[in-house]
Order: sequence, then C-alpha cells, then structure tokens
Amino acid sequence: MAITQFIVNGLLIGALFAGIAVGFALIWGVVDIINLAHGEMVMLGGYVSFWLLNIATGNTNASPTVFLATIPVAIAVLFVVGYALQRTLVQRVIGTDIFLTLLVTFGISIAIQQLAIQAWTANPRSIQTSFADPSLTIAGLTVPKMKLLAFAGAIALTAALYVFLQNTRTGRAIRGVAQNPEAAELVGIDVEHTRAVTFGISSGIAGGIGAFVATILTIDPQMGLIYTLKSFVIVVFGGVGSIPGAMIGGLLLGSVEELTAGLVSSRWTLAVSFTLLIVLLVVKPNGLFGEEADQ
Amino acid sequence: MSTNDSEERSGLLHTILPPNQVDRLFDVCSAHAWKLLLVGVVVGALPPLVGLEQGYLMTVVTEMYLFAILALSWDIIGGQTGYPSFGNMAFFGIGAYTTAILVKDFAVGFPTAMVVAGLVAVVFAIIIGVVVLRLRGHYFAIATLGVLLAAQQVSRNLDITGGASGKILFDVPEGTVFYYLFFGVLVAEVALVYYLSNTRFGFVLNAIRDDEEKATAMGFNTTYYKVVAWMLSALFTGLAGGAFSLFNTFLNPQTAYNGAWNVELIAMALMGGSGTVAGPVIGAFGLHTIIELVESWFVGWQLVVLGSAIIVTVISFPDGVVGTLREYASGMAYYERGGMAATDSDDAEVAADE
Repeated sequence: MAITQFIVNGLLIGALFAGIAVGFALIWGVVDIINLAHGEMVMLGGYVSFWLLNIATGNTNASPTVFLATIPVAIAVLFVVGYALQRTLVQRVIGTDIFLTLLVTFGISIAIQQLAIQAWTANPRSIQTSFADPSLTIAGLTVPKMKLLAFAGAIALTAALYVFLQNTRTGRAIRGVAQNPEAAELVGIDVEHTRAVTFGISSGIAGGIGAFVATILTIDPQMGLIYTLKSFVIVVFGGVGSIPGAMIGGLLLGSVEELTAGLVSSRWTLAVSFTLLIVLLVVKPNGLFGEEADQ
Repeated sequence: MSTNDSEERSGLLHTILPPNQVDRLFDVCSAHAWKLLLVGVVVGALPPLVGLEQGYLMTVVTEMYLFAILALSWDIIGGQTGYPSFGNMAFFGIGAYTTAILVKDFAVGFPTAMVVAGLVAVVFAIIIGVVVLRLRGHYFAIATLGVLLAAQQVSRNLDITGGASGKILFDVPEGTVFYYLFFGVLVAEVALVYYLSNTRFGFVLNAIRDDEEKATAMGFNTTYYKVVAWMLSALFTGLAGGAFSLFNTFLNPQTAYNGAWNVELIAMALMGGSGTVAGPVIGAFGLHTIIELVESWFVGWQLVVLGSAIIVTVISFPDGVVGTLREYASGMAYYERGGMAATDSDDAEVAADE
C-alpha cells in the first residue's frame, strides 16, 4: 500500500513537472533553443502569485478561489517577460552556434536569479491555502486537496495549450514555424513574432504552474535550474515536440522521484533524476515518443 | 545603416589602432611564442621573490591563475574540439575531494595527493567520456551539466566526503606555495596546448569541431581524439581542484562543484577568444579582475554583472578579444589586397539577390 501511495504522490507532483516541461519542449521545437532560463519563469510565476496575495490580502493565507484568481495574472506577466526576452535577446542568437544560445539563456538565468535574491532575499517562501489541511481519503490513499487542485490545474493548462496549438490560427502558425521556418515565412507567417509568442506562451504556462508550486512546495530564487533540468529529462524521455510524450514523461519522473524518496531517502531524489537524465540521453536520445531525429 | 555606423566607428579605430599594426603584433606573437612564454614565466615568478607580502592582492592573482587553468582546460574540449562541456567543474570537484580526503583522512603528503587528484579526474573522465562523448550539441551540453549535478548530489550524500557540511582542512602550506603551484600548472598547460595546437593532434581536434563527419570520413578515429582531449581537460582541471581544496582550507559540495564558477570559466574562455591559446588566459585575467572589483564594490550583484557580460559578449563579440582582434587585423590585409573592389562586388551581389 505504501508503494501505491508513493506513486499517487508522484503522479500528483508529476503533472506539475509535465506542465513545465511542455513549455520547455515547445520552445525547443519551435524556436530551436534550449531555454536554460525556463526554470526561472516557474520561479517568477510563483513570486507573482505570492506577492499578489500578499498585497491583496496582507498575508499569504488565501482561500483557494482568491489563489486561483492570481494565476491568470501570473500567466499574463510571464507571457510578457517571455515575449520580451525572445524579442530583445534570444532572437539575436538564433541560428548561430547552439553553444551560444545555451550561454545566452544561462546568462539570463543567473542574472534573474540574483536579481530575485536582491529583491526578495534567498529565503524559501510558500503560499498557504485555507483548505490545505483536510485531505481526501480514497480507498485508503491520502490525497491532499491542494495537491489535487494543482494536479488539475497543471493538466488543464497543458490541455489548453494542446487545444490551442491544434485549433487556432496562431497555434497552426506556431506548428508551421516548428516544421519549417522558411516555408512558414513564404506563406506569410511573421516568424519572429510567432517565435516570440511561443516563448511567451511557454513562459506563461511555466509561470502559472509556478504559482501551484508555491502552494504545494516552496519557492526560492535559486530553484530554477532544477526545474529546467527536470524538464530536460522529461522532454528527452517523451521526445522533442510531443505534448503527450512530455505529459507521460512528467508523470513518470514524479513517480520515480517519490518512489526514491519513499523507499530510499529523499536525499537521493536529485541524484537519481540526474543519473536518469544521463542514462536516457545515451540510451534513447530521441525519446520514447519522439520522431526519429538525425541527431 | 548599420554598415555606415560600423564604418564610421572603424574609421576612428583605424586611426588610433591601425589594423596592420595589430596584424604585425599577431605575427610577432606567433613567431616568438616560446620566448614570450619564457618572459611570462620570469615575470610571473617575480612577485614573491621581490618580497611582495601575502595578502589580498596575492590571493587574487593566485585565483587568476586558477581560473586561467580552468578556462584553458575547458577550451581544450569546448573551444578546440567543439564539445561545449557544461560540466567541467565535476573534474574540479572530484580533484578537490580527492586531495581533501587523502590529506585529511589518510595522511598522504600533499604533492602525492595532488597527482592522485589529477589521475582520479582523468579516470573519471574516461568513464564518463565514453558515454557522453557519443552525444553532440544540446545533448552533450545538458548531459555534462547532469554529470556535474549528479556528482554534487553524490558528494552531498556520502560520508567520506563529509556530506553537506563538507571538510575543513588544517596545516595547509603557505600562500606562496599555492602561488607557484597554480602558476606552474598554468605554464605547463599553456605550453602543452600551444605545442598541440601546431601538431596533427591539434588539427584533428579543430577538424572535429568544424565537421566531425568529414573528419571521420578522412579516416581519423575521432572517438580517440575526443576522449584524449577530454582527458587532458580533466587532468588540468583535476590538478587545479586538487590544489584548490587546501588553498581554500574548506570544501563542501557547493564550493567543490561551484555552479557559478562553471559559468565563469566558460565565459572567460569565450570572452578571451575560444579556440585560441592566449584567449582563455586573457579572458580569465580580465573577467576575474572585473568580478573581484564588482565583489568588493557591489556585494551580491556579481551574478547579474556576469550574466549581462555573457549576454553582451555572446551577442556582440562571439569571437572574444583575440578572435575579434584577429578578424580586425585580417580585415586590413583584405583591404591591402584591393578589398574595396571586393566590397563593391559584394554590394552588387546583394542588389542582385534583392
């Protein structure tokens, strides 16, 4: 029974990882860069929600409805941040050596990190929601309501993105740019704008999920890199450009981490994740669900 | 429009610093490289001999040598071979822990421990290299970052490394010893890298960077060359780490596998000019000076400065100091060979394209 409980915990957390990784995969597929500052978007989203609650209610104990109301704001703010980053900085290195694109996003990442430390100190913070305490018990399994809400929120955001990409004009433009930027330009798509929108949407979703992270875990200025790397593990596992793949990858990574924490020790979760990353890269660099790439 | 801007700017620059002078400087440097290195050795060996006191300044200079070693080691694999490692600090941490454990727990002499540290790093590099050097591009970069973080987590959890609280080392040699130690390793590395850059080995590394498939097609066992370059990088990084643990007198997972240093050393190689011998050293001296100044004047902002510096360098001068200067110098040679005509035909070509 304990193992089932660990897996349930893992799935609940894993949906958040998956939602973050979907944005990471989208930027990778469409803009063709590895955004090492992606985790910082999660962090910033968490802080936006945290400070909104703090300013609006004077403390960070909020009812779930009030908390949910901050999420669109977090998404909107991070959309603007992502769009601006792509337009001002990242756009200039697209098409150059991949190593340079990695360095630019790494530069953005460490600069944001330290600015956040300067602004908000390095202390971990979290948002308390009023129904945090009572947990549901289903068939002997404990499910905290807040984790269930975060799970649902992350799944909803990911599903919304999927529908958006499949059914809207902008979504089709994004997929067009991902497939062939030159051909997309020929049919009249503004490639630079579409890339910036992609960056913005991905950052926005990461920010929205960051708010959920703030409620069930903690946020601090230096949390970003871990989330970036987890996203990488998930995307490598699921395959670049596959949203269902990223979803399954996220749920699996969450389960593996919770199982490691439960059965071995929580100290080893990160070591296991990073080792898994290296093993996956070597054994299955195209992912389980990815198209055959010539990498 | 931007062409006009750059022409005006370079017009002013041309008067202050004529490109043919820069070109001549490069010629002189490459013709007398070994003599220049010897002059460097003499100058570098002087400060403690003329009785400069140990203190803040000497520590900063010692750290400059340390960073120059790290940047140049990174450049062997990142700049010369074109495999952008984001995990070189793993070798550093392993070297640092090796000496710390040997000296403290097994009472091994420091010189022996340092040599062992270099060797352990090399062995680790072989094991990891066989696996990660099969990857390219993004995948290689992230896999090496994963190696670094996994190594850090393992050190945090083991007992022999002192866990998260780390190790404090007593009875360390005095500062002058470290000054000469880092300086000696740096000189040896510069000499080796410079020597290799003019041999078949160095050319094959550059060929791998430019087009690995072609290099393979030409019959080179690229895996062998990549692994050897990776081992050399690990050897010097491990030696530097081995000396660092006693130099710092304290070691924990954060300092041994320092993520910020990992970025700094890449930034240094890039700013100086990756793929050159002098570039990473110049970059290390320059950037470390800037970082020290920022640290003493604006505490807590150094990563913002570092991040901005990296972004500006990558966007504006991806070739670094040495690369940009070299291009500038060769620009003049281009003009001397009647470059204006070429520029005109260039314009014509652009017009035809439009």
